[in-house]
Amino acid sequence: MPIVVWQLVFFVFPLLFLLLMSFWLVKNYRMVPGFDSVNWIKMYGKGYFWDGYWRTLGYAGITTVITSVLAFPCAFALAFKVSPTVRRWAMFFLIVPFFTSYLVRIFSWQIFLNDNGIINVLLSSIGLGPFSMLNTFFGTVVGYLTLCLPLAVVLQLISLSNVDQRLIEAAHNLGCGSFRTVFAVIIPLAKIGIIVAAVFCFILSFGDFVSPYYLGGSKPPTLSILIIDTTKSGQQWPRAAVVAITMIVTLFAIMFTAIALAYRRRS
Amino acid sequence: MPTNHTQPLVLFDRVTKRFGSTTAVDSISLQIFEGEFLSIMGPSGCGKTTTLRMLAGLEEPSEGEIQLAGERINNVTVSERDTPMVWQSLALFPFLNVIKNVEFGLKMRGVSTIERRRRALDWLERLEIVDFADREISQLSGGQQQRVALARSLVTEPRILLLDEPLSALDANLVVRMQGVLTKLQKELGITFVYVTHRQSEAFAMSDRVVIMNQGRIEQIDSAKGIYRNPATRFVAEFVGANNILSGTVIAADRLIEVDTPAGRFKCVESSDHIWSIGDTTSLVISADLIRLSTSAVNDENEMECRFISEEFVGSIVTVLAETPDGADFRIQLQQRELSELDLKVGATVYVRWDSHDAHLLRDTN
Repeated sequence: MPIVVWQLVFFVFPLLFLLLMSFWLVKNYRMVPGFDSVNWIKMYGKGYFWDGYWRTLGYAGITTVITSVLAFPCAFALAFKVSPTVRRWAMFFLIVPFFTSYLVRIFSWQIFLNDNGIINVLLSSIGLGPFSMLNTFFGTVVGYLTLCLPLAVVLQLISLSNVDQRLIEAAHNLGCGSFRTVFAVIIPLAKIGIIVAAVFCFILSFGDFVSPYYLGGSKPPTLSILIIDTTKSGQQWPRAAVVAITMIVTLFAIMFTAIALAYRRRS
Repeated sequence: MPTNHTQPLVLFDRVTKRFGSTTAVDSISLQIFEGEFLSIMGPSGCGKTTTLRMLAGLEEPSEGEIQLAGERINNVTVSERDTPMVWQSLALFPFLNVIKNVEFGLKMRGVSTIERRRRALDWLERLEIVDFADREISQLSGGQQQRVALARSLVTEPRILLLDEPLSALDANLVVRMQGVLTKLQKELGITFVYVTHRQSEAFAMSDRVVIMNQGRIEQIDSAKGIYRNPATRFVAEFVGANNILSGTVIAADRLIEVDTPAGRFKCVESSDHIWSIGDTTSLVISADLIRLSTSAVNDENEMECRFISEEFVGSIVTVLAETPDGADFRIQLQQRELSELDLKVGATVYVRWDSHDAHLLRDTN
């Protein structure tokens, strides 16, 4: 029972309130309770809303793919190629980034990625650059990776560590070479963990506003930036709620699809 | 039975395997012949599984050479050896259904989809589990999973099959049934089975030859009967069967060898060609099932007065525990019916005796 109350108070009621608010009106920069679908019609009728929607979906999708692909060799090596001591230290260092605020980590990237930053200085010393990395899509992705990569490695590592070594030996024994075993046996066995890691990446980057704002230069806007812009311009909280609800519904849909995929019995 | 004794299929030549400072397998030499059912038996930690794993390529020998069909295979990787294994854990792939598990090895060898389906179905048919082809592994019983594991290993038609305690997870009735399945298969296919187990009943029921290992070394290689009746070492005598072992000294060595033990003096007809001389220390081994029990003395040449301690009933056979004059345990196996006729009370005096031909002398005395 307490869990139900807790869920209601901290999860269901706020969501319902958000939903309710999306039907309110704004008059003279003040919110007025009401029940009008005008916010939904206005937001869904705007081209820039849909552009932002697909852009955010694409950014999160690309980030999820890049993170999963980058994290896998690292998690694989830590799970199968190193001693337990090295694995424990690696786990520790993968958790260390979470000690520091994400915002602080993003600000430090601004210094690194700056036109006169250390990366461009180093590149110019071998006659390359300068490359503008700040306020580009590249900058945004660097930020997303900062957010997602350590978590993805940890989650993949946990699921790879649980792979039954005996099944790997059985695969080798049946003529499956080392490289092929990764795809034929190890990935199917670690599938749930790999998908869960990907879902986390997607959720984090889909809703993140820090990276596209401070490293991507906030243009073109993602949905999270759109929410901020909407609330700032004319106190349009109800319209921001429309964007927020759309995002939540999208995430739920993606999450359920992914989990269904993870637990699907393959034949 | 082995068909070709001159050219072994597998040869272990002074093979040693060390893990850090422990020696798991200590310079063993072993020949395994084409078409034979060979069991490797021993207590846990004796090196039997390591030996099997070296043959499969899952462990690399520290020293010595392993040959398969006349070729050195020390450096051949696991996936390139055709030495499929049936695992104690079965190691079936949980993300594949029954038929896909069986097809796995064929797929890895590049056999076409239609061909591998056909061959996999053939094997499922042969092992009487074709109805479960599209089931998930988790939906099968232990015995059915066992059959899938067998089919998966045999579908590639190997010359040798390695089995690592494959029946240890099954209940007693199923074990006997699977033993029948295994021996029948082995005879039909005519391929070599190398079977690792710690259970005497499994090894003896199925094997042409049995290898007894202890502390990384081979103690004896012989037929089941040979090992049972003529244990080569004290370890084998203690590990196999229900043997009574009496340590003593040879006091007469003619046609009959007479041994003086704390429990009395006994005679023995030694069948081996070892020459015994007076003063040799030895152990006299008498199998519990070759001993007769009575309540009165017959004054036979190998007779001993004992005290009845207890009986242990296992089906039609009863093991009687008695105490020798010097206070050691002595075991006698007899039919339940015979024992009930004697109507023994705890502490009663009983006489045990055996034929001089049925005793066996051990050379090693450690």
